[in-house]
Amino acid sequence: MAQTWQRPVARFGPYVAAALLFLILPALLPTHLQSVWSRLVIFAIFAISLDIIFGYAGLISLGHSAFFGVGGYANALLLTKLGFESFWIVTPIALAITVAVAALFGLIALRVTRMYFLLITFALSQMLVAVVNTWRDVTGGAEGLFRIPHPDLGISIAWNSISLYYFACISLIVCFFLMMLVVKSPFGLSLQGIRESEPRMRAMGYNVWLHKYIAYIISALFAGVAGIVFTYHNTVISPWNLGLEMSALALLICILGGRGTLWGPLIGAVVITLIEYFSSIYLPARWPLVLGGSFVLCVALLPKGIAPYLQRLWNRLIYGSAKN
Amino acid sequence: MLTALSGVSFGSILFLVASGFSLIFGVMGVLNLTHGVLYMVGAYIGWTLAIQHGHNFLLAIVAGGVGAAIIGLILDQGFLRRIHGMLAQQVLLTFGFIYVLTNLCLWYWGALPRAPFTAPTLDWSFPLAGLQYPFARVVITLIGIALAVFLWWLQSKTKFGMVIRAGMNDKEMTVGLGINYGIVAAAIFLLGCFLAGAAGVVGSQLFGAHLGLGQEILLFAVAVVVVGGLGSIPGALVGGLVTGLVVSFGTVLLPGLAMFFVYLVMIVVLMIRPTGILGRAITD
Repeated sequence: MAQTWQRPVARFGPYVAAALLFLILPALLPTHLQSVWSRLVIFAIFAISLDIIFGYAGLISLGHSAFFGVGGYANALLLTKLGFESFWIVTPIALAITVAVAALFGLIALRVTRMYFLLITFALSQMLVAVVNTWRDVTGGAEGLFRIPHPDLGISIAWNSISLYYFACISLIVCFFLMMLVVKSPFGLSLQGIRESEPRMRAMGYNVWLHKYIAYIISALFAGVAGIVFTYHNTVISPWNLGLEMSALALLICILGGRGTLWGPLIGAVVITLIEYFSSIYLPARWPLVLGGSFVLCVALLPKGIAPYLQRLWNRLIYGSAKN
Repeated sequence: MLTALSGVSFGSILFLVASGFSLIFGVMGVLNLTHGVLYMVGAYIGWTLAIQHGHNFLLAIVAGGVGAAIIGLILDQGFLRRIHGMLAQQVLLTFGFIYVLTNLCLWYWGALPRAPFTAPTLDWSFPLAGLQYPFARVVITLIGIALAVFLWWLQSKTKFGMVIRAGMNDKEMTVGLGINYGIVAAAIFLLGCFLAGAAGVVGSQLFGAHLGLGQEILLFAVAVVVVGGLGSIPGALVGGLVTGLVVSFGTVLLPGLAMFFVYLVMIVVLMIRPTGILGRAITD
């Protein structure tokens, strides 16, 4: 018997919790924690974008960092070397470049599936790393590009850690709801169908390849957004941001949070960032050990992630039973 | 000529590493990203024994292999068993071990890179085409050839190899015939890790040992098995030679872009023939 308080709590509870965590809390934190929170939000955008192809379409990409890096590098190049200034002009160009690269990579990568898809996305992103490392005049080589200015939104804003945070946070909110629209649409449902059974979807007359291709490009677009916001926040972008570590981190965030939910990777990003933050305070020399250990333990103990447990806990709190 | 020869000896090391990587993939379906780090651990163990304690180089090679195999045992029995058949999770688990093992190596051996070293008996060179060619490189090539012959014998002439081939073709049928495929797979995993560690000691004659080595070798191993064919030993040999030659000619002709060409070859092969030059289709 549902009571009157249950319906609004179940409906709006998550939004209130998210608003507290992402809108109210950061304003009260000290400056260095605000920038940790910005990192968190950026990684959340990145990981959620991966969730579209990994969680919904079932494609395991080990090269998603390519689009984070292309978006970031395009943005940084336009701002530092080509003399562009306005956020409203630079962002569409950087995103168009990201989409163009994704359209090309998608043609190559989607010729194969499963393990081969994983390997080819990996090779493509590593090829970009090699290009960036070599083409020193343009990309700054191993040092990367630095002194990236703050976003010029056309209105005067005092840029400090909290306004930069809200800039990242608004990007997250916009991206989250746009991606929610994508995955809740008939297109998103057919992606899940492809994940569950590709031959069946094909037999039902769906153009499976085209669905995957479009999902791949959409996912790359949002990864590009994450890269752009990252360059504004970090003011430096280096080949590391294109490499294997970034892709693996995004995969880990998706798996840890729970793939195929969108909000799962959001929680995964919170958990991973907090682990990274505390280990960098208490065990600065051993933080790769802690990070690696959390990869290992998370995968060995929670191969399906936190999301199912959270969902169950939530239902128990609201409805008093584990059943939905 | 010299470029080709150094490409061949580099290719031999790549074959040593990639054969284990490829065997593990072919038999267990696991993409073991820890493989490069096992190579690195082997190289460090080899340095400790051969240089620090002045032991025999051959002993160092065996010890490097055994050390890597012990880590492999923990990795396989402790962790990989729990996530059987979950591709993304396996990738992440083995990736996490890269961080863990690299950091443990940093802890134990410190950040200082070790210069390439070799056994005193191998440390001489002979004139070739007007230059001095190190004898150690010849030995590396010979070890590569010997291993190729051994693995070919193991896979095609022994009962053990017969079980491996049967399992690669149809795992369920093999298990159904009453063969304990789990044990065979575990043994192959250990053999693969042993080969990685031993390759680390052999390869340290060219590259020494440093903390970035694990990642570098992993990238090469992936390229080699993709070019040659996942799960195929002759494929690893061909892939190793192709990659070794691409790298050494790339370094001479267009320095800096060598890695770019390695990936380019890898992508072209994946596009045209996803199963690699000598590979067969892998059924999940």
